[in-house]
Amino acid sequence: MSWLEALSNGIERFAESDRAVGDALSRRKWLLAGAAAALGTATKSKAAPPVSHTRWLINRITMGWTPEEQLLADTLGYHGYLEYHLNYTAIDDSALNARLAPYWLLNAPPYYLHGFNASIPTNQLCQATFLRATYSKRQLFERMVEFWTDHLNIDIKKADNPWIKLVDDREVIRTHALGNFRDLIIASARSPSMLEYLDNADSVVGNPNENYARELMELHTMGVSGGYTQQDVVEVARAFTGWTVDQTDTQTKSTFRFDALAHDTGSKVVLGQTIPAGGGYGDAIQVIDIIMAHPSTANFIARKLCERFYSYSPPQSLINSVGATFTATNGDIKSMLRTLFLNANPATAPVKLKRPFHLVISALRAAKANVGGSPEALTTQLRQQLQAAGHEPFQWGTPDGYPDKLEHWSGLVIARWNFAAALMKDSIADITTDVEILLAGAVTADQVADKINEVICGGTLTAVERNRIRDYLSPGIPTKAKKAEAVALAISAPSFQWY
Amino acid sequence: MVLTGVCPAEPKGVDMSSRDCTGCNEYLELSRRQFLKASGIGAVALSAPAWLPRVAYAGDACTDRDIVVAIFLRGAADGLTLCVPHADPLYYSARPTLSVPPPDSLDPNRCTDLNGYFGLPPVMTPLLPAYQAGHLCIVHAVGSPSGSRSHFDAMRFMEVGKIGDPNLITGWLGRHLATSAPLSVNPVLRGIGIGYGLQQALEGGPFTLPIPDMDNFDLVGDPVTRAARRLALSDMYNAGTEPLKTSAQNTQLTIDFLNAIDFNGYIPAGGAVYPNHTFGYALRSTAALIKAEVGVEAVAIDLPGWDTHAFQGIWQGGAMWELMNPLALGLAAFHADIFAGNGRNVTVVVMSEFGRRLLENGSDGTDHGHGNCMFVIGNHINGGQVLTQWPGLDQGQLFQGRDLEVTYDWRDILGEIVQHRLQNPNLATIFPGFTPTFRGVTTACRGDMNCDKVVNTDDVAPFVGAVMDPEAFDGKSGCGAINGDMNNDGAVDGRDIQPFVKRVLGS
Repeated sequence: MSWLEALSNGIERFAESDRAVGDALSRRKWLLAGAAAALGTATKSKAAPPVSHTRWLINRITMGWTPEEQLLADTLGYHGYLEYHLNYTAIDDSALNARLAPYWLLNAPPYYLHGFNASIPTNQLCQATFLRATYSKRQLFERMVEFWTDHLNIDIKKADNPWIKLVDDREVIRTHALGNFRDLIIASARSPSMLEYLDNADSVVGNPNENYARELMELHTMGVSGGYTQQDVVEVARAFTGWTVDQTDTQTKSTFRFDALAHDTGSKVVLGQTIPAGGGYGDAIQVIDIIMAHPSTANFIARKLCERFYSYSPPQSLINSVGATFTATNGDIKSMLRTLFLNANPATAPVKLKRPFHLVISALRAAKANVGGSPEALTTQLRQQLQAAGHEPFQWGTPDGYPDKLEHWSGLVIARWNFAAALMKDSIADITTDVEILLAGAVTADQVADKINEVICGGTLTAVERNRIRDYLSPGIPTKAKKAEAVALAISAPSFQWY
Repeated sequence: MVLTGVCPAEPKGVDMSSRDCTGCNEYLELSRRQFLKASGIGAVALSAPAWLPRVAYAGDACTDRDIVVAIFLRGAADGLTLCVPHADPLYYSARPTLSVPPPDSLDPNRCTDLNGYFGLPPVMTPLLPAYQAGHLCIVHAVGSPSGSRSHFDAMRFMEVGKIGDPNLITGWLGRHLATSAPLSVNPVLRGIGIGYGLQQALEGGPFTLPIPDMDNFDLVGDPVTRAARRLALSDMYNAGTEPLKTSAQNTQLTIDFLNAIDFNGYIPAGGAVYPNHTFGYALRSTAALIKAEVGVEAVAIDLPGWDTHAFQGIWQGGAMWELMNPLALGLAAFHADIFAGNGRNVTVVVMSEFGRRLLENGSDGTDHGHGNCMFVIGNHINGGQVLTQWPGLDQGQLFQGRDLEVTYDWRDILGEIVQHRLQNPNLATIFPGFTPTFRGVTTACRGDMNCDKVVNTDDVAPFVGAVMDPEAFDGKSGCGAINGDMNNDGAVDGRDIQPFVKRVLGS
């Protein structure tokens, strides 16, 4: 029995017509329903929740609305659809995996990657990122990969990262994207990619390098106002001395190495807690545990999740709920997301602006574009499109990651228009679209405008936009080229920029 | 006594033999405004004859309103390398590997002395001509007193112009534009942030856009349908919501505006050669834009990558060298290009979020510090000096016992530029909650003896007082006697009388 069938059988268990999102009662009912389902005693419920709520959820947890996702969400209901995406390992992704199969470096060990022109592993990672974001059915997982890639940002240009960021992506980000936050941070701290990016690989006893220590607290866990001091930065840096990267020309090249000789064995005081002298590798693990237990960490991670998935300025009550789940579950990421989406109110959630990567992927999904490309390529025109919009994957220089701020992304609208125009003109190499199949059955300007609204935008074009696109297609029966330009206008339209 | 064609005496003892004499007696030339008045043409810019110098040419320090080019060295540049305190022995003991040898050493990498105390490392010496021309002022031990060693907080504080306020998101340049009348009658693009996202310094500025490449700003696709597609986009966005509505409107106007400028065919003046680097390209485009005289007032440019925690590399091929090189070559080219001849009304200011720790770390790098230096370039900048209240590098003199102290607030420098060079008095709006102390980074308004920004008969009596007894004048008027140094020879005396009279009559 497929996942879809299994869930379809249980639709009614999850559906609730009277669900007011954010309502504790509703949440309790759902939890009860979930418990009942687990016991095999499905409770009977009424009709599906409002479509607008599932649409909001699709917008938030996928890389872009499609009619297929809407059908799935309507079938499973708000909660069922959320659980479907949270339980991502159960989602069959064989179609994506077939697309990824030619990219032979994705599973290679670091020493092997070093045997290639650096552009090839870099480009395979970028291409895999595009393919996964566009075609994976594990859409929430891909959204979380994007989230943690920003949160634990690494500039692929620095040090050995043109080769080994691919390993960080595989073994840190993708391994823990929907796992446990402590595991994620330990994996990141041990990641050669991060050790080189934030210079801990070169930090030695006596005069330690403070770079990683500061960003671990400021950006990865506690937040800049989290309550640590400059002295804490120095102490954390001391605890991490000796965490370095194997640089031998052997099969362990670019793997984690603890260098006891470079480690500061003196006692440290971190956030008021003493780490006794004589320690080794474990000093830094103790640091991470002290940081994990600090209330600032739960609050900071909760806030960032709410900012990404709810709104630019999320309500404190929502942050507190997610933060409480962080504390109760010791950083279980799925549980935090569940709390977020069960306490969020789709009806009043403000819209967010798609960042260029999100816009590009959502357009590729909506236009049913076929993304090809060669595993041997050094770059792609799709990367260049994102570069022109300032959002090429893995290229942000500073450790704060690409911003998720309205004011940062609202200026350069021309890059959005140009991407849409190039996409629908099939002038981005290796990407094709078929507007006749996409808009099958629509002939007149009115029909084409309606069809575009339906399949590209899910009916969200404003009347002005829809009519303006119709006028663009008029007079007469629009040509194929004209229809493609009309789709590009829809992708360029204001309403398509928001989610 | 006729001063026309005579070079003024050299201030500050620097060699200015290569200086273009005809270009420096600016006070003897009619300003454009004066010419228009005298010739009865009136202040209608478009009716001016083609041969007339346009408004963007530098005229006088009192009324010229500069275009500002704000350059941000992101990542916390090491000010102790950019401008070396070579006379302080503690600098050398703290930096056993990351120090630039003193000018009197025989080391080929020694720094070039500026004033007996500070020097430029070899890679920064392309800036010497600007310094010697009196156009470059280096401010040292300057920065933000916030004490934050977070790049992101520190950058935000500097760009919004206020420390610690999370609710203030507009920037100092954005509020400058918002509180000043546009330079052109029908503004299209008053502020440009070179980049993909607008620099926070420019946030809130009217007619402001981020533009990554000014020479490549147009709608792609079928040229035959381009106009129709632009019209459709325009209609949809005009009916849409902010902030995209304004961005789209600015974009539509800017497409035509930038396409009318030949960036590719631009030929720099003054023999300037811009470095082959994104920073050089940004400055070259900026120069072309300024010379096109289309009313751009503020340009923000970033040069990122200064976070040199490991392998700082101050020598050729090293990480910091690879940034200082385009910085120095770019600024030198821009200086030669923009300030050739009479020069343009432009002020360049270079800043970074904080400096780096005095003591180098164990990985040949430096960690986050505090005080730093700033570079300011302009026609009416008090150049040829390192302006500082040097705090010293002794343990007890360092911020928190480890970093160069901040003795000048960065807003002292920016505030003085805003008031005197951008002619915007709204400092309380631009730097909320802070009153800048002017440190003398800009030159005086010559002939303005009562500091009312105009030179007229009201200045005659105080001028006489200043010539009679400059020291007494300084003591009681609050407006420096140096404003009466009409011939720029460093003294206020009888030789200033004739140019003063001409200046008063001329206005």
